[in-house]
Amino acid sequence: MNSDAAKEVLSAYRSGDRDGADPFFHEALKQMESDSELKKWFDEQHDLDRAIREKLASIEPPPDLQAKILARIRGEKVRRFALPQVWLAAAACLLVGGIAWFYSAQKQGPDRFQEFKTDALAMVSAEGGPVLDLWTSNITETQSYLREHQAPYDEWLPNRLKSMETAGCRAFVWKDYPASLTCFRLPDGMLLHLVVIHREAMGNANIPVGMKSMGDWHLMFQQKDGMLMMWATQAPMEQLKQIVVKIAVKPRLGKA
Amino acid sequence: MPTELDLERIVSELYSPLYRFAFALSRNESQASDLTQETFLILAKQQAQVRDITKIKSWLFTTLRREFLRGLRSQSTHPEVELKPEHQDQLVADSGVLKASDAATVLEALAGVDESYRIVLELFYLADLSYKEIAASLDIPIGTVMSRLSRGKEQLRTLLTKTAPPDKIIPRSN
Repeated sequence: MNSDAAKEVLSAYRSGDRDGADPFFHEALKQMESDSELKKWFDEQHDLDRAIREKLASIEPPPDLQAKILARIRGEKVRRFALPQVWLAAAACLLVGGIAWFYSAQKQGPDRFQEFKTDALAMVSAEGGPVLDLWTSNITETQSYLREHQAPYDEWLPNRLKSMETAGCRAFVWKDYPASLTCFRLPDGMLLHLVVIHREAMGNANIPVGMKSMGDWHLMFQQKDGMLMMWATQAPMEQLKQIVVKIAVKPRLGKA
Repeated sequence: MPTELDLERIVSELYSPLYRFAFALSRNESQASDLTQETFLILAKQQAQVRDITKIKSWLFTTLRREFLRGLRSQSTHPEVELKPEHQDQLVADSGVLKASDAATVLEALAGVDESYRIVLELFYLADLSYKEIAASLDIPIGTVMSRLSRGKEQLRTLLTKTAPPDKIIPRSN
């Protein structure tokens, strides 16, 4: 092994006891005993590696990051435990076509609304979570993004949501109508989804009011200023009520 | 039956280096936090599929990098919000996360290294992965890892010499 080959091998050597026992490095390490130039190069390289690692280690994660990660993992454990029921319920509803669901709303042209509800729920309950255009914890950023992409969104959110982090948002088109999805992170790690679309996208369908449960999903529909808003979460229904029903007094919606 | 991973212990041990790796990739504190959280969430969801717990560390770093690249591809369809690392030097300068300016200097120098060498260096310095783990993580031969580490370190040293006071980071030659 010549000096250049030894340097290349030793470039991958990590100090301490991590690589000392790896026979891959033995020959190159042994060569240093008889090659002072190689030894000097290695010592400098070793010092540089240590210095770089020390500097990079000074980058500190946010103080609450570990707690956030653990909260989300616990939320996932709860979700995984309930998953078979969720999918069974969702599959049943999709197969049956949701005919029994919102039955009273179907008397006058319910198809559009039914389709929307099914599509929106399928979107938010996708395995691994919904696909998002923008990942951000900042609600202002999600609103800016949706505004820039001509998607309708709730400009005046319930007060309790304003202080919550978001997971992100998505602008999409449903049946030629612009729509948006914004995902909020609840304190226990669960997600709360808000889908917003123009009311006229529903045609003549009656929109049911109040809260509904669909398997493990809790849904609520609201109409404001020509917009239809669908809230969906797997968090307890009581939590959804606390956040959404006791809302800010001045709801207003951004224009698409 | 697969053994349930001790996720809390894994998070406790690895969230900091994983965050640093995410920050080096994204140069954005918020995005780095999101990437770190998402990576552990993926582990929580897919833990039954993780057969070799000794490889969890490299699995996490590989997954985080894949998520970062996926996010970049997604952002590329929306130029308005595109945030490529090479365009984010300002974010680094403004961020309060870098308590030591030398860390910013190292990151800046790392960003200047050729991309094929940079990722190997990041996995070496930030993830502290062995050459074997880096090779497995990037799916490249061990010999390629060696040569990229060697050349990447040379580039990094050159860049650090240009951007940092020699006695700050570069070890003295004598």
